[in-house]
Amino acid sequence: MRIAVDVMGGDYAPVEVIAGAIKWIQENDSQIVMIGQEELIKEELTKYCYDSSRLSIVNAREVIAMDESPATAIRRKRDASIVVASKMVKEKQADALISCGSTGAQMAAAIFILGRMDGVERPPIVAAIPNTSGKKTLLIDVGANVDCKAKQLLQFAILGKAYASFSGNPNPRVALLNNGEEESKGNNLSIETHALLKEQPGLNFVGNIEGRELFGNHCDVVICDGFTGNIVLKTMEGMAMFMARLITMETGQLPSFFNQLDYSKAGGAPLLGVNGVSIVCHGSSRQEAVFNGIRIAAECVTRQMVKLQQEELAKII
Amino acid sequence: MEEFFALARKILAEQMDVDPETLTMETTFEEIDADSIDIVEMIMALEDVYDVEFPEDEKKDYAILGVLITDLYEYLRQIKNA
Repeated sequence: MRIAVDVMGGDYAPVEVIAGAIKWIQENDSQIVMIGQEELIKEELTKYCYDSSRLSIVNAREVIAMDESPATAIRRKRDASIVVASKMVKEKQADALISCGSTGAQMAAAIFILGRMDGVERPPIVAAIPNTSGKKTLLIDVGANVDCKAKQLLQFAILGKAYASFSGNPNPRVALLNNGEEESKGNNLSIETHALLKEQPGLNFVGNIEGRELFGNHCDVVICDGFTGNIVLKTMEGMAMFMARLITMETGQLPSFFNQLDYSKAGGAPLLGVNGVSIVCHGSSRQEAVFNGIRIAAECVTRQMVKLQQEELAKII
Repeated sequence: MEEFFALARKILAEQMDVDPETLTMETTFEEIDADSIDIVEMIMALEDVYDVEFPEDEKKDYAILGVLITDLYEYLRQIKNA
């Protein structure tokens, strides 16, 4: 297996991204391709001992900044690391890619280079949130699409069903994140989406849920727009850090279950609905988060996530 | 120009699921909920038809369909005459 790592993206790139990728090849029998400014990468690599047969470098001079328009930047900067990494996956020179850079650029590269699956307008990002049943609730979208249409949220639900199937649950309970359980609650987008989800054959739609029910065993897949989902995810992270601090101050140690809420342990989340494995990592990822992002990428390749999504979509669309 | 605009209008209307007749040179992308991905998709579809690669101007942020179409058509005219 060969995983392309965009080493130029992220708050701590390239140092922490390279550190995570090196840790991966030190502990796993697979290949890494580092994509970015070659001289920077080579200089950083002098710090490490590693099996050089497992590592290659592909030079990419340009970087897409967080404040650039993603769709146009993808076309303008053909030599940007995320563009080169996506092309490698498209051309099967790599099995998957991970990036901690601009999510918008990664999504645009996925759309225009990897291509979307039939029936998918916008690829969402899925995050797995621990719940009281000991399993995970899938939250979709956690940040790829800040403005969504109702039909796109319906597509997220179908992709969520497909991804749940990949995770071993072929008939997941799907819910819509809202500010009330009643059908009439929420903004226009919520009301319109509710109606579409209710009418969709083959979808086990269980209605609206409120934010506090995310951690219960009420549903398996929760749908929302990327603006809301990203705020939910970051609020959870902040709340977990706050609780961790309070508990540590009170008891002097942190219970092990807090690991479940640590984003660096989760690593990254796949973009759904595209014809290739593209793992979106937190912008502030350090070594451990990058390592775990590569682990997620490897799991998605091994368990044929793309093929399973395509098969599930074909059944529904 | 009319032919080029008619094709762009047809492509965009299909993408955005709107009636092509509602799209004019004055239509704003905001009015039809088209984001930057939709705009780039339309440009790429036109590139396929005309077998060209339109340049990206990093300083231009197109808000009006007619302004974008005029610029694309002008580029197309220049390279066909070159």
